[in-house]
Amino acid sequence: MLRSTRLLAGIASLTLVLAGCGGSGNKQSSGGSTQTSGVTITVALASDAPPKAALDAFTQQTGITVNWVNIDWDSLQNKISAAATAKTYFADATNVDWSRVGQLGKLGWFYPVDSYVDTKAMQADVPQLASFTVDGHVVGIPYDASFMVTTVNTELFQKAGVNPAPRTMDEYTSALKTIKAKGVADHPLNIPFAAAEGLSTYWYETTGAFGGTVLDKDGKPQFTSPDSAGYKAADWMVNALKSGLVPPGNINVSDSQGMQNLMARGQVASTFSDYSGNVGTLYNIKKSSSVVGKVKYIATPGASGPAANLSNPDGIGIPKQAKYPNAAAKFIEWFTATEQQADFAGVNGPEKTFATYPIPSHLSAVKQMTAKGNLIGGAELVPMLQGSKPVFEGGAPSWYPKFSNAVYTNLHAAATGSMSVEQAMKTIGDTANQLASGS
Amino acid sequence: MTVTSTTAEVTTAGPAPGTDPVRRSRVDLLPYLLVAPVMIFIACLALVPAVFTIVQSFYKVDALDPPTRFDGLGNFVRLAKDHAVIGSLGNTALYVVIGVTLSTLIGIAAAVVLQRPFRGRSLVIAILILPWAMPGVVEGILWTGIFDPNAGLINSVLSSLHLSDGNAVLLGQNRLLTIALIELVQVWQIAPLSVLLILAVLQLIPSELYEAAQIDGCSAWGAFRRITLPLARPGIAVTMVQAVIATLNVFDQPYVLNGAANTGASVTMQTYFISFQDLDFGKGYALSLLITIVTLLVSLVVVRLVYRRVEL
Repeated sequence: MLRSTRLLAGIASLTLVLAGCGGSGNKQSSGGSTQTSGVTITVALASDAPPKAALDAFTQQTGITVNWVNIDWDSLQNKISAAATAKTYFADATNVDWSRVGQLGKLGWFYPVDSYVDTKAMQADVPQLASFTVDGHVVGIPYDASFMVTTVNTELFQKAGVNPAPRTMDEYTSALKTIKAKGVADHPLNIPFAAAEGLSTYWYETTGAFGGTVLDKDGKPQFTSPDSAGYKAADWMVNALKSGLVPPGNINVSDSQGMQNLMARGQVASTFSDYSGNVGTLYNIKKSSSVVGKVKYIATPGASGPAANLSNPDGIGIPKQAKYPNAAAKFIEWFTATEQQADFAGVNGPEKTFATYPIPSHLSAVKQMTAKGNLIGGAELVPMLQGSKPVFEGGAPSWYPKFSNAVYTNLHAAATGSMSVEQAMKTIGDTANQLASGS
Repeated sequence: MTVTSTTAEVTTAGPAPGTDPVRRSRVDLLPYLLVAPVMIFIACLALVPAVFTIVQSFYKVDALDPPTRFDGLGNFVRLAKDHAVIGSLGNTALYVVIGVTLSTLIGIAAAVVLQRPFRGRSLVIAILILPWAMPGVVEGILWTGIFDPNAGLINSVLSSLHLSDGNAVLLGQNRLLTIALIELVQVWQIAPLSVLLILAVLQLIPSELYEAAQIDGCSAWGAFRRITLPLARPGIAVTMVQAVIATLNVFDQPYVLNGAANTGASVTMQTYFISFQDLDFGKGYALSLLITIVTLLVSLVVVRLVYRRVEL
């Protein structure tokens, strides 16, 4: 009897393990259900959930329940890649970063959102939609209006007796040199030289300011000649470090560290490529800043006058393995609608406010925010958003992650002195040529 | 001897072999059934992925260059030509040498101190375990604040001692210094386990051996060399193997503290970049396979050199 019981126990445990190893059986190919009511969809974004009341209202309107999953950005990108490669379900709607649009377009990992949502109708009001369009199809819809901006600590500029709103790169550089020479700030310029994405985007913005672009429409490098804007931008950045305009320690400082520890502490006077929205969400927050009310956005200084701001927004799209793509599309339509963004941004009262919501992607929602005084620096930000441009003319290439890795590792190496700017530009250029040719 | 005779008794007390085939079959099956869950878990979570990795490393599995196709040694050739991978191999070798040496030395020293009971010993051991229990990423973030060149603790101390102007760049500038400092952070994490492993072995050494050595006029250093070290060798070998595995696979600390910079990138970081940034999974599999082989070989060498069977 005892032996039989033990044998049964052994078989039972084996069966349980086999069941566990067998998986849940939810592996499915592309083409989920068209059901748009009475379903629960999973939305995975690197963000807190919107207010519960808003999500409940959405459920009431549509019959779709939202299971919100907040995953940090890096892990989220890994999950998207892993799930798409394994062709397994992961979420019904998830992040589409501007830098991965080319890659995602080529891979076909996401449904074209324009098949579900009338993206043409929103084109005029969402300037950054262009950053999410590849081969005529929209891979994701931007839900924030992130773009690169120049911020200045007006108090430090004024203390040094220089114009806090320089219009050209020469004026800007000269102002920074004066601030340093007068001892107002030992190292007035913040450039994050850590080998990370923030260094690449800083260089793209600076290249734009010098009047050029990093890659042409075909993905060919435009920065290998010393006369090119990209080369001048890299040289300007490295020289700024070598001449002491940039804190020497910035060699290993990431973009967020630089903003939080240097700009928000008043140790530097300016960040050339800052995040739009940082004045309201970081510099004007007493507990994290000692420069409240002192930092302003200025029109990006350019070669001969203000330059365009480059876009680096986050979007939301529908992965091919979504269980309920149509329901996900309904959610995206609601989540990115002007009225909803205005609610999230606090235009219609605190109870509808989405505390960590960035700047809306709809120009009309930004204008509403500015009119109601909900957006600090709104008057400056609106024209910048209106004139913002994609980082790459032809959209981010499919090989962008590898290119960016070459950009930040080599620019970092040039900053440490282990290679010259010329060598760095050549190495990055060779990498781009190799990637563009597909070899 | 005792075990053998007991077994013989049990065997002779049971039915003659072959007299009850059904019952014998049940008896034989039971141990396998009981072990099966663990074996299946291992097969599902380790063996199947390992075999999959070995097979796929010979295929071109590139999401941006479909379809998947047999590529022979193509992935390995591309790895050999990849400067970032080659550079990271050198960095990783340094991580291993520094990490294994330091964690073993710290493990031995701390275990010897903790070998004899003293007041508050349990508390010391509990505190010692804390860094080991922390995730590598959290440690990286914590040490970022310490190494920060603009506002870090080390720079503040150096500055107050007038040893630097307060902006000494500790990470990212000099390869050896960068790797040494990053590895220090990892040693901070893995050394507690080394201490515990060696301490466990030291506690098995009979105190009579030390008493006899003392009577024979052996000094403390002599007792350490002739009793403690030889008898602790199994524990030291295990400690070194776990340090080899941890340092060869270091990822969190260099990634958080030094980004993707060539001055500190490890080979595991390259696996991540190749697989998840470039989506060249075949090359990523090949590099993972190489790391596994190197880990096994180095561990084997350590065991052969350090491990000695000890009977107390």
